[in-house]
Amino acid sequence: MSRYTRPLQQLSRSDEPSVGGKSANLGELLAAEIPVPPGFALSTAAFEAFMAEADLERTAEDALAAEIRATPVPAAVREEVTHAYAALAEAVGIADPPVAVRSSAVGEDSQQATFAGQQETYLWVRGGEGVCDAVRDCWASLYSPTAIAYRARLGDRAGAAAMGVTVQLMVDADVSGVMFTCSPVSGDPSMVAINASWGLGLAVVGGEVSPDEYLVSKVTREVVRERVHAKDVQYVPDAGGNGAVRVDVPDHRREMPCLNQAALNRLVDVARRIERYFGCPQDIEWAFARDDPDGLFVVQARPVTGLAKKAEMPKAQSAMSLIMSSFGAGPAKDP
Amino acid sequence: MATTAPKAGAFPSPYEIETPPGCEGWEEMYPYYALFDERRRDTDENRFWFWNSMHFPVPMPAFDVICIDSPYQAVGAWQNRVFAVPPAMGIDYRCVNGYIYISGNPVTDPAKIAERAEFFQRRAGHYFQNWPELYAKWRAKMEALIRELGELEVPDLPEYEPDEVAFGDDRNTAFYEVLDAYGRALRLGDLMWQHHFEFLLLGYGAYGTFAEFCKGHLPDIPDQHIAQMVAGIDVILFRPDAELRRLARLAIETGVHQAFEQGRSPNQIDAELAETEAGRNWLAELEKVKDPYFNMATGDGLYHYYRSWLDDPSIPYASLIGHISALRAGEQIDRPTDEIERERDRLAEEYGALLDDASRASFNDLLGLSRTVFPYVEEHKFYCDYWFLTRWWNKIREFGALLARNQFLEDGEDVFQLSRYEVASALDELVLTWATGGRPLGPQHWPPIVARRKEILAKLADWTPPPAIGVTPEAVTDPMTIMLWGVTTERVQEWARQQDGGRTLTGAPASPGTVEGLARVVRSVDQIGDVRDGEILVCGSTSPAWAPIFSKIKATVTDVGGVMSHAAIVAREYGLPAVVGTGRATAAIQTGQMIRVDGSEGTVTLL
Repeated sequence: MSRYTRPLQQLSRSDEPSVGGKSANLGELLAAEIPVPPGFALSTAAFEAFMAEADLERTAEDALAAEIRATPVPAAVREEVTHAYAALAEAVGIADPPVAVRSSAVGEDSQQATFAGQQETYLWVRGGEGVCDAVRDCWASLYSPTAIAYRARLGDRAGAAAMGVTVQLMVDADVSGVMFTCSPVSGDPSMVAINASWGLGLAVVGGEVSPDEYLVSKVTREVVRERVHAKDVQYVPDAGGNGAVRVDVPDHRREMPCLNQAALNRLVDVARRIERYFGCPQDIEWAFARDDPDGLFVVQARPVTGLAKKAEMPKAQSAMSLIMSSFGAGPAKDP
Repeated sequence: MATTAPKAGAFPSPYEIETPPGCEGWEEMYPYYALFDERRRDTDENRFWFWNSMHFPVPMPAFDVICIDSPYQAVGAWQNRVFAVPPAMGIDYRCVNGYIYISGNPVTDPAKIAERAEFFQRRAGHYFQNWPELYAKWRAKMEALIRELGELEVPDLPEYEPDEVAFGDDRNTAFYEVLDAYGRALRLGDLMWQHHFEFLLLGYGAYGTFAEFCKGHLPDIPDQHIAQMVAGIDVILFRPDAELRRLARLAIETGVHQAFEQGRSPNQIDAELAETEAGRNWLAELEKVKDPYFNMATGDGLYHYYRSWLDDPSIPYASLIGHISALRAGEQIDRPTDEIERERDRLAEEYGALLDDASRASFNDLLGLSRTVFPYVEEHKFYCDYWFLTRWWNKIREFGALLARNQFLEDGEDVFQLSRYEVASALDELVLTWATGGRPLGPQHWPPIVARRKEILAKLADWTPPPAIGVTPEAVTDPMTIMLWGVTTERVQEWARQQDGGRTLTGAPASPGTVEGLARVVRSVDQIGDVRDGEILVCGSTSPAWAPIFSKIKATVTDVGGVMSHAAIVAREYGLPAVVGTGRATAAIQTGQMIRVDGSEGTVTLL
């Protein structure tokens, strides 16, 4: 019986306290039959085992991250991660499959607060050892100065530091990006707002390119607004086999729109399914696999945060009273 | 309407606009009250006036001024005196160099607004609650009116009155009959306009409220989706083209389609059809649907230039040629009404589902009412602007012909160069001299006046009116100006900014998509024939009757119009990008210029 790892497809919302928000959400997405790359979750128990073995009590807060990176991962955790990784390799039929290793903090990805960008993501990690190192780096990121400051700002709401980690098969993305299931600007719930750029999602999430922007109607799939930008850089897997590197986008693709109507349609379909499943607006990271036109994958979904609070709408008004006010005649009187 | 003092870069004063060279004396064509007169300068100069290029894109011929007076009499009577729309009375108009500028009269006193609201709620409420029944009565009234117009005879002036006048009872002499017929023709016109506006404000108001509601809750919703949710499926306006499609199919089935060759005139086509039995049968079928469906106008109907398909069949015949060649190429030409209906209901359901419960209740209530009122909004054009008005102009032509037969005019068509009072005056002299046998002055008096006016109108057509004159308003608050003309605060500010001449025009995004192409500026309907395949139509505004040229063009741009403008509706039907309400496209763009139309953003860029 695994103590520290669980396959993503076994997880649901209720596992959030033990595996963190990202892993739990991916489990839900799989349950909703959304195409999510396979992978496994490290529980907070793994983190706790690590912290129990490490002797960090006397370490100053600003040195914690470096200290964690120098501490070995407990053998039991290491063994289980290596095992889970081997099982993943077997399941997908790839030796040493590249994976993304991301933090899955407890309390993250909730509607109250987002820790977005406060923890590290390690892309194109290969081999059991490499995965273990990346997992440890994720834990360390919990103690980065920015993460500490972020928690301090949130005060009580942040809770005690506890972290799960998500390990997920990497999609070699031709195009990737982020989409909101409502307009982030106007809050319009009938729109899906899509940002897309070439290569792995890092460039869009990190704001390193001006992505192509699409505002697409959920109702008709029409592109209501479209802005194609010059996309100068992209992340691609390192030729050496480990990690992702930033390279220039080839000239002929720079100003080329990276999504066509068919791709937009598929994104909107997935966006609607995810939103319907969770019952509230979602912020979704996705990728289209290279050399695989059918390969749309969702690598993350979480509730949209920071939407402007809707002005308190008055109770339902009759058509007549609304028309009266548009003619400047105030609300209609009951006959 | 709140206003600020004029400042540099703002709109010109109506009193500083120069008369184009050679057009001196243009004022004589128009009533004294239609001019920017020094005696009213203190008020007129301090108002905001915008060019009503939607209804009056070209300089007004003297007679056509009746189609300014009557509509504004009628709209004001209903809006201000019947429904008492609380913040807005009627609309004033003025004429500058032959172009028509309008300005609403606001009600600003809160006590007065409250008093009017009482009237409005009771009276408008009655209409909304009894709409289908009242509208059915309206249609019957209009059909009776059109019949009465058809029965109105314009008598000739005989050498001797017939025996009946001498021996019969209640017979009148021709002098009286002519004057009476003219008076009745004018009165029937007034009556049409009074019917025209009975429902219009309320209809647009219900639709506009629904549109605003949608935009409040779904801020990025495309205008065309709002229109699609409301639009009628089986309204009379779509029938003429439906009949043409049917006749196109019939032509192929009966093997007479060869007659419809690209480039042939309707007469040439008819002549070939008349040679065979099958062709004659087809012509007989056509004859059956002509009344009423060929009472479509070639334009929006407010000028005498706009004839009906009956008068000028080139548009329906071009349409027939297009339908036949599409059918033979295996294309589907039917308007897919089932699909349109399904889509309209699907849109409504899906948008409704995105709203919270309270908002959805309001949404559904407004949608229901909008759908109830919308057939009127769509159909009044057919009854009033097309069917009645094209026939009415023809009735006026009969008086023109009478004057021409008596040498008061060189050509019957010249009647439109005289004001309605001048025509009355000419008819007075004509029947007087017919009666007395005296020598008429008319044949020397009128032709030089007509000739001079034609010259002035031709020159005024080359003058470009500014989109607005007078003071720039801080905000446009008149609900009628916003609803009927799409003139909003933002639009006016954009016009004001553009007074320095930018390369980009902004309007309302009316139909999505982006294309580049050569512009074709069309100022009046008789220039439609100049439009070439693949050009971008740039015009003041269009009407559904222009639909056939939409199969030729790539995009359309108009000076005036909003969500509801016809250019927008037709562009959407044809899936063409459209930007409407740019305020100055016909002024800023030249035929042959390369432009980019972005119908999603509402911009037109001069390349």
